[in-house]
Amino acid sequence: MRLVFVLTVVAVAAVLAGPSAVWAAEAGASGGWVGPFAVIAAGIGMAIASGLCALGQGRATASAVDAMARQPGAAGRIQTAMIIGLALIESLALYVFVIAAILLFVQPVK
Amino acid sequence: MEAIEHPPLFAIPGVPDHLTYTWLVMVILIVVSAAASRRLQLVPRGLQNFMEIVLEQFLSLLDDVVGHEGRRYLPLIATLGLFILTSNLLGLVPGLMAPTSNINTTAACALIVFFTYHWIGIQKQGLGRYLKHLCGPVWWLAPLMFVVEIFSHLARPLSLALRLFGNMTGGHILLAVIFSLTLGLASWAAAGSLPGVLLGVPGTALLVLFTTGFLLPLKILVAFLQAFIFCMLSMLYIAGAIEEAEHP
Repeated sequence: MRLVFVLTVVAVAAVLAGPSAVWAAEAGASGGWVGPFAVIAAGIGMAIASGLCALGQGRATASAVDAMARQPGAAGRIQTAMIIGLALIESLALYVFVIAAILLFVQPVK
Repeated sequence: MEAIEHPPLFAIPGVPDHLTYTWLVMVILIVVSAAASRRLQLVPRGLQNFMEIVLEQFLSLLDDVVGHEGRRYLPLIATLGLFILTSNLLGLVPGLMAPTSNINTTAACALIVFFTYHWIGIQKQGLGRYLKHLCGPVWWLAPLMFVVEIFSHLARPLSLALRLFGNMTGGHILLAVIFSLTLGLASWAAAGSLPGVLLGVPGTALLVLFTTGFLLPLKILVAFLQAFIFCMLSMLYIAGAIEEAEHP
């Protein structure tokens, strides 16, 4: 659920930052053509990453809830394992988020 | 990256903001611990009771995950957990900043965990056996397995640092976007045109309700969850380094 928000944020940020990046590229004569594409790549990459991450987390949570319903006695251990698994899955999407943030804010390639 | 929503309330010139607020977290933790352990009683009351409950949670987690040797690592794990939790919660206070939303802080914590669990592993089973364990069970696969294991161990501190940093920074960017949206709608409503008032006032109310009723509770949950996950993964890595000694 959280990543959906992150996706929204990056999409909004891409919309906000897109025109300014284009203006910056037009204003600076030495500005390359990479900047606008970096913004688009950040948005699309975050969308793909969070969508697939949501699929994976949904499968993991569904199996965990299933297992907890079958064996309520082991619910605590299953929940701990589920949270660790979700964190490991989420970290893959967070790599993409960090790269998107670098593309949007740090702008290594203009 | 500097503060996203707003510059922090007080800053020491010449000192980076995340360092200032790391010191603030240290002061908070030291004062609370000193106040809790000033007059220790057999039957704890008040602050001492609270801190004992918190530390007992860490102890039971260590017993569950690491095993009977786990209590030795309580100082490391509990310090990391309390520091990260306090830092995360500090970021929710308006005017303050979370030290963990800067990647230098999280990378420092992750590197401490990385070197510590390797040190524990080498101490428990010796350098030779620890390196041999990295080579896998089959000797002719050893060159491949060694490289794969090295990369998998190097990825651990990276993912620890980036997970905490990404969650905190993502939350701050989200709040910043929502705040600017609320401000825009409110100024549209304040401009006085009819559609502005008709759409801007309920929109602003809706956004404020959304932020206070949903986003901030979500961020509190994430603050606790990320501290828990950081401690849990550190414990798992330490357990992995110890267990190999018992089942070679």
